[in-house]
Amino acid sequence: MDSSGNLIPRWRRVLLRLRESVLTSGDVNEKRIRRRKRLVDIITRRLTLVKTALFISGYLWFLLIPSPHLGRGTYIDENALQPGQVNTDWNWGDVHVADNYLARLEQIRDGNFTSEQRAQWLSEEFGKLGIASSTQRYSFSTSTAVCTEDSVSSTFSRVDPTFQHLNGSNAYAVLASPRHSGTEAMVISASWVSRIGEEDGTLNMRGVSTILALAGFLKRYSYWGKDIIFVVSDGYLEGMQAWLGAYHGVSQSGLSREPLKLTSGVIWTALNIDYPGHSFSHLGVFFEGLNGRMPNQDLINSFDRIARYTAGVPVTLYEHLDPREEPAANKSPSWLPQALYNISEVKSYLYQAKNVVRHMKYQANGRGSGVHGLFHQFRIDAITLFALPATGPHGFHAIGRTIESTLRTMNNLLERLHASFFFYIMTGPQRFLKIGFYLPSAILISMGMMFHGLSAWVDAGWVQENIDYEASEPKKPTTYSQKQTWKRRRRPVISVLCIMIATHLLGIILFSLVSSTLFMENYKVLSPIVFTAFASVPLLALQISPISNPDIAPIFLVLKVLNLCFASTVISIITLLNFSLAASLTVLVGMPLVFSSPSVSLHWRLMKFAGCVNLGLGWLLFCQGEMVQAVWNWEVLTVWFAPFICIVYLPLLLQASVTCLLPP
Amino acid sequence: MASKSTRTTFSNFQASFLALTAVRLWISLTDLSITLKHDHQLSSPLTSFSQLQEGIYLFKHDIDPYSGGSFRHSPILLSFFATILPNSRKLASVLWTLIDAAGAWSLVQIWRSRQNVISSPWDILIASLYLLNPYIFLPSLALSTSSFENTLMLLSIMLASQGRASASLLALSLLLHLSLSSIVMLLPILLLLINDPHSHLASPKPMANSLRKMVPLFGEFTVYTGILTILSTIVAGSWAWIPQTWGATLTLPDLTPNTGLWWYFFTEMFDHFRPFFLMVFSVHLLIYVVPTCIKFQHDPLYATFIMLGILGTFKPYTTLSDPGLFLSMIAIFPETYPYLRHPIVTALLHLHSALLMPLFHHLWLTQGTGNANFFYATTLVFACSNGAALVDSIWAGLRIAIGPPVDNYTVVQE
Repeated sequence: MDSSGNLIPRWRRVLLRLRESVLTSGDVNEKRIRRRKRLVDIITRRLTLVKTALFISGYLWFLLIPSPHLGRGTYIDENALQPGQVNTDWNWGDVHVADNYLARLEQIRDGNFTSEQRAQWLSEEFGKLGIASSTQRYSFSTSTAVCTEDSVSSTFSRVDPTFQHLNGSNAYAVLASPRHSGTEAMVISASWVSRIGEEDGTLNMRGVSTILALAGFLKRYSYWGKDIIFVVSDGYLEGMQAWLGAYHGVSQSGLSREPLKLTSGVIWTALNIDYPGHSFSHLGVFFEGLNGRMPNQDLINSFDRIARYTAGVPVTLYEHLDPREEPAANKSPSWLPQALYNISEVKSYLYQAKNVVRHMKYQANGRGSGVHGLFHQFRIDAITLFALPATGPHGFHAIGRTIESTLRTMNNLLERLHASFFFYIMTGPQRFLKIGFYLPSAILISMGMMFHGLSAWVDAGWVQENIDYEASEPKKPTTYSQKQTWKRRRRPVISVLCIMIATHLLGIILFSLVSSTLFMENYKVLSPIVFTAFASVPLLALQISPISNPDIAPIFLVLKVLNLCFASTVISIITLLNFSLAASLTVLVGMPLVFSSPSVSLHWRLMKFAGCVNLGLGWLLFCQGEMVQAVWNWEVLTVWFAPFICIVYLPLLLQASVTCLLPP
Repeated sequence: MASKSTRTTFSNFQASFLALTAVRLWISLTDLSITLKHDHQLSSPLTSFSQLQEGIYLFKHDIDPYSGGSFRHSPILLSFFATILPNSRKLASVLWTLIDAAGAWSLVQIWRSRQNVISSPWDILIASLYLLNPYIFLPSLALSTSSFENTLMLLSIMLASQGRASASLLALSLLLHLSLSSIVMLLPILLLLINDPHSHLASPKPMANSLRKMVPLFGEFTVYTGILTILSTIVAGSWAWIPQTWGATLTLPDLTPNTGLWWYFFTEMFDHFRPFFLMVFSVHLLIYVVPTCIKFQHDPLYATFIMLGILGTFKPYTTLSDPGLFLSMIAIFPETYPYLRHPIVTALLHLHSALLMPLFHHLWLTQGTGNANFFYATTLVFACSNGAALVDSIWAGLRIAIGPPVDNYTVVQE
């Protein structure tokens, strides 16, 4: 054999083998079947490995998102914007005007004006400047707050579940564009309560004074190609919600409001000013909108360039100071040794992780990060400029110049902002991640869940019957005899679908219950009762007797399959709408669903069940404040986080808990 | 005893059917239809209710509705709504529900004639698979006239299965007037008329009947279509309706987005390639007819079903109800289920596309963070899921003839 093999030259042997593999000898179909079988075999044998790799790489990717090596610097994409290319005219005279307005606003605050009187005063001040102005009264009645009387002060405490003062008055003015017919508009707004006022009642006095002073200042110039709308909204979020709803003619149940007397064109962009302190050191940018929408990145980038180069104010994300630039923020966290923290990569990672986590918090619950978020529901790109309270060095002069120049940039727009990114994660004020760098994390996990579900589907379709063979021929290798006796079995899909639909119906019932006035008024008493009631429903599964028929797959397996496949679909689809929510889902739902399975001991089964139910319903007991907030968000701002949790998230975990309880 | 038990199941079926219809009616009378009316996925320019109302308004004010570019409904629908029915939304909702109920009833009748039984316990399941199929339910809530097309299609198939040739051909020619693409259904329906509707998938054999029998039937269909065309011309007052209705199917003047594959392709097209690709897309629909009918000559009802799937995937101006009809019709071929190769993959694809389509539509047109490519990508996913269902149905319909799988043997396609 050897000698004859050596007679043929090596190159010919290779050629022959190549020819053998290309030119088919024998049955083509047989070869194809064998090839396909081999391929399927390779995949199925390594399926556990593939699934584990998918999950691990997905979760690791999440940890990589804040890495300083991922992502890139921001840039302006829309050529028309030309940020910072103009000379600004806002000067110390205008600062003096703002100071005067501030003094009079302080008198109004101390004079305990009603919100209606205050709006009237603001409207008159706009009128004195020669700008058409008006006021708008509104009143929200929700299950979390039923309002009847006029409010005096606009602060409300967050601890109290019934947000009381939900009626108020907005003041607004429309500066008609001298150059155009008023088909487009941009908005500068300030809410009466500052974002830090949500906790302690701080008012946005300097923000409102800035708006008034800017109104007088901007009117002097003739280069505006878009109408400028000045809005001073009452409360923190609700006033702007009422104003925007009226502007766009959208009716909302539970809200009664006056129609707007003045209107303008389509609003493309909006700036919300939040200046609560005496002076500020940085301008923080807040951008997350309602239901996970984000503004076009060009708006953030233009503002960033203008603030840094025109006004000379450093920009931060939120109020997070960069430890690499600000010595004040350069402190290592208590759990990290100083030496490790001093490595620049670690420092950058921690800073960016802080930004990403904050972003996810704002985006996941759909509430957005401030008043600007409300604009997003009407396709308006908006951000909040937050003047970070400090003892200095900046004040009205810097913020006025920034806003003036940003308005000039927005005025340059010829079409809606569209060129830059809508899907991104900001890791720093000048750094961001494109969609391709963060989306795969959630998608990989959702793929892992899908693979797991599909492999369980195959498991459910087959049953092993090897008892007879082994008993009669004990000497034969058992693996061979087992292979021979794989038998198909029926999968009870319809009954499982009924279980799934029932859990979703349960979710709908829970949602209508939780958002009812009765529940919200006594939620401290009713929450444990509702929790017990809904948590005990899956216990019905214990009543189901195991199927003895080997031709039918066990219900728990099919339920697990459909549960996993549905969860995977939901996660991968939510990623584009609200990535942070999808990421939270992969953590909260991913592992519990994969590991849900019945155990032999009742004790262990109940433990698993309790875990799933607590994940799904735990918010009724442990996050009551968040729950009330979420219901309020749904009723006032139409944020769909609360219904999503009740109707999609909870049922997924209830199905998993039923899987744990069903007989194996 | 036996006859009594059949009667009770029969009346059970009727009671459940009425209950289902009542639920549908209750939902259709809510304000959902106002919000859904303008949804691109539920009604196309050729089936939209608001455009129909506009046409009726113009017609009643002695303006030729076909002189503008917005009204593309058949003159038959125009005369029907302008004379017999008052133009009210509530009444329209009732009518649409009844039309769907008629469709479901026809589907049950088709099932019964295929199984050759008077009634069966599965009847109500089949009816509910039609009435509660969201792809059929939602366009009906949006008052899209595609519900009429579906019902006419099912009526025609039902009458053909029962051997009532004239009525079936009349229904088909009415359908042809509502939607020109349904011309591809003519051959399978004619085959169905000269054969029986029972399942012969497991024992394929060349068709015994002579094709010559189809000639008088075809003649009858031509006569009906001719008469309806003349009636339409009388109603419309001129021939102007033809380019506006039938012509729109061939020349695609309105590129409003829909769930089909045509609109984006022709949005992107350079004008000088347009006629060529319009021809390619239209002929593409036709090339499936003969091969499908030859392959499934032993079971023309299955050929009809396959053609419905092709129509739902590839026709111009689709709405969700076109693929919906195909998916609901899978219910009447239970003998093929064990031979489907990847039912769970198809189901998951459909789940993905059913969730992705409204989402990307929203991202593009409401939220403004997406663009047309997003929605087009999901229509591609939707086409893939329809294609997967179609290919799997064809496979199962042919594979069944070889019999149940045997260990260590595999069936492949040459």
